[in-house]
Amino acid sequence: MKVLSFGAAAAFCVVAACVAMPAGAQTRGGVMTYGRYADSLFLDPVLNDANVDIWILSNLYDTLLLPTDDGKGVQPGLATGFTMAPDGLSVTLTLRDGIKFSDGSPITAEDVKWSLDRARDPKEGIWNFIDESIGSVDIKDPKTIVLVLKRPDPAIIPGLTVFNNAIMPKKLFEAVAGATLDDKAKVFAERPVGSGPFMFQSWSRGQQMKLVRNPYYWRMGADGKPLPYLDGITFEVLPDDATRLLKVQSGELDGAELVPFSRVNELKANPKLNMVLFPSTKVTYATLNVRPKLKNGADNPLSNDKVRQALNYAADKDAIIAIVTHGVGTPMSSYMSTATPLHTGSGAMFPADLAKAKALMKEAGYEKGFTFSTLALAGNVDEVGIATALQQMWAQIGVTLVIDQVDNATRTARYRAADFSMRLGSWTDDIADPNEITAYFGYYPTIESLHSGWKNDKFNALFEASQKELDLAKRTAQYAEMQAIYRDGPIVPLYESPYPVVLKKNVRGFVQIPLGNNIFSGTSLEK
Amino acid sequence: MPSLGYVVRRVLQMVPTLVFILVVTFVLVRLLPGDPLSAIAGDRVTDAQVAQARAAYGLDEPLLTQFLIYVRHVATGDLGRSIVVQAPVRNLVTERLPPTLMLTAMSVLIGVGLAVPLAFASALRRGRAADFAIRAGAQISLSMPVFYIGLVLLTVFAAQLRWFPVGGYGDDWGERAYHLFLPAVTLGVSLAAILMRNLRAAIIEVLGAEYVDFARAKGLATRVVLLRHVLRNALISTLALLGPTVGALLGGAVITESVFAIPGIGRLMIESIYGRDYPVIQGLTLILALLVSLAFLVTDLIQAALDPRVAR
Repeated sequence: MKVLSFGAAAAFCVVAACVAMPAGAQTRGGVMTYGRYADSLFLDPVLNDANVDIWILSNLYDTLLLPTDDGKGVQPGLATGFTMAPDGLSVTLTLRDGIKFSDGSPITAEDVKWSLDRARDPKEGIWNFIDESIGSVDIKDPKTIVLVLKRPDPAIIPGLTVFNNAIMPKKLFEAVAGATLDDKAKVFAERPVGSGPFMFQSWSRGQQMKLVRNPYYWRMGADGKPLPYLDGITFEVLPDDATRLLKVQSGELDGAELVPFSRVNELKANPKLNMVLFPSTKVTYATLNVRPKLKNGADNPLSNDKVRQALNYAADKDAIIAIVTHGVGTPMSSYMSTATPLHTGSGAMFPADLAKAKALMKEAGYEKGFTFSTLALAGNVDEVGIATALQQMWAQIGVTLVIDQVDNATRTARYRAADFSMRLGSWTDDIADPNEITAYFGYYPTIESLHSGWKNDKFNALFEASQKELDLAKRTAQYAEMQAIYRDGPIVPLYESPYPVVLKKNVRGFVQIPLGNNIFSGTSLEK
Repeated sequence: MPSLGYVVRRVLQMVPTLVFILVVTFVLVRLLPGDPLSAIAGDRVTDAQVAQARAAYGLDEPLLTQFLIYVRHVATGDLGRSIVVQAPVRNLVTERLPPTLMLTAMSVLIGVGLAVPLAFASALRRGRAADFAIRAGAQISLSMPVFYIGLVLLTVFAAQLRWFPVGGYGDDWGERAYHLFLPAVTLGVSLAAILMRNLRAAIIEVLGAEYVDFARAKGLATRVVLLRHVLRNALISTLALLGPTVGALLGGAVITESVFAIPGIGRLMIESIYGRDYPVIQGLTLILALLVSLAFLVTDLIQAALDPRVAR
């Protein structure tokens, strides 16, 4: 079996190249203000579960390995390299010399073991599936950590770049008040200490969070001095889209996330601003309940493969992309995004074809159509827009779509209880591996394939095999087959869309990687 | 001044209200579909994890047990801990309350400051051009949605003229007053319109009263007649209107808080309701009920001072 490794001398994604800095004098200093649509909730890497936390956590907490900027690979982090044993049953990691937490205390092998043991504890949070293959975390010597695996795991290396595997200061964490680890986590997360490029300074909930430069960060910038270039970042919470953009336009903010697609072209034309569409792993789709009977006992036409295909062919993705994303999206060519490793396929999975849709409805015995309902998030312009567009498109094949607008908690409670026919949703990957989205979308045991009830034994077997397949070519073939099977899956794939971020022209080196992480370590504010 | 007996009676009246709110909020939040875990749990949470978390938060206990635990905690001043953000409710409320209180106070000042002179100007020129202009202005400000007024003010006075910041709150009191000026104008203008219409009608009524004619006949200066006799009597009904309006501002300035990015309790309440964050909704409702009761109490006491008949 192939030995996967990268030694210290290997040319990893060179930091300077990653952050796309021009050669020559490097601008340092300044505090970047960044407008966010919502505040963070809980800054604990293990117990959090929301993108508002996940996407900024890497600025505070460092991991053994880091994701590359294209979101598909890994590069060294607190570990300078790793070696996977030929039998795939252990991973040896070498810790970097001189690494410290932001309070100046050294990062030890004990901190690493403690952090990974907490992250993989099945009782802790929802992310421990990433570390499910780890049998034990052993300290070989103060610089060497060995992960002993229960099975070969092709996703364990990208898994070590994920926020839940952040290295935390064991002693500091244990010293805070609280009877249990969870209680301590709640207190620790109010004033977190990690080893990321920035450290926590203050947080006024609902208003702003201030991070300042971590003087002990290990990575070097293009000028040969330690990153980050910025003195700090101030996140301002601006829930109203119009206000967030006004604040950038008036120069009060250096950047802002989640620009509404309807404003992208206008901002592109603004000479003072840089409207960036960062490639993402975000996919937007409709999930169909495919169980033969609905919750109320009625027969469910959506359990018929041909009906689902008909709905797919009758849904004009290009039109939806034009209406909802104002043209910045692209049709999904698989259930996973093109930015997800091992993606296959090109072009829309089901190009619009009304004649084919009608023929399929006839074959399925639903020539006269039927009525069903979709859950849509009340007040969400995108979801209501998609539902309305589908309503009109499906009317052409005799299908009446009833739009049931509900709030998030109601929607979640209903689909988790299988009390729905269709719902709209979006997904972004957290790991540079296709196994996360596949486990939730198609592997029945996880959550009954997006709570749809779709169960395909071949798909499940392929997924289980792929979870221990270290041969990349074989695993690629397994994923190609799963993606082909999923054509008859429980979703109406709609579109992929980028992360729309607006920055002032003098902001350089900011990246939102396809996994969503906001990377400020190589960001600078040019004078 | 109202008698001590009246004050005590009025304060005691608040107790059943607060108890009622305590019970009703506890029950109502649980009648909403879903629970905190279903709000937090997206696709990625398994049923076993949801069950585990539900048990950890005591949400699997019988309702009565949960209620008794809640009451016991409230009695000791403990409002619990947010399920969504994990912070103590008391901290969340004390962080988010000052912006709302300050915004409400500034809005009331602006509202009353605009309403009183405009109501006089309108009432004293009844049926003339100025009266029509003022009433039309009030009608327009009442008809415009708050977010629209807010965005127009932001675009013109903040983004273009740069006289004010584009939303936010600020770090010290001076900066906060500066940041809150435009949102206070947004709310104050609507408040002024409501108060002005009411006050104008009251002034017109009082102007026709015999005691005003008498005061004039005594040879009192017009200013004295207007301030001491007309305004004082006309304000009584307007004050009755101010109490509930302030109550609505305290709990309901959600849109203004969102548009101007003010970290107030309106936004916290909406976020908590969407998140089914039971402890926060319960704690916040209780605090708001207390504040609104206090606002009513203060207006009642002022009213009683102006018109001793109220306190009988």
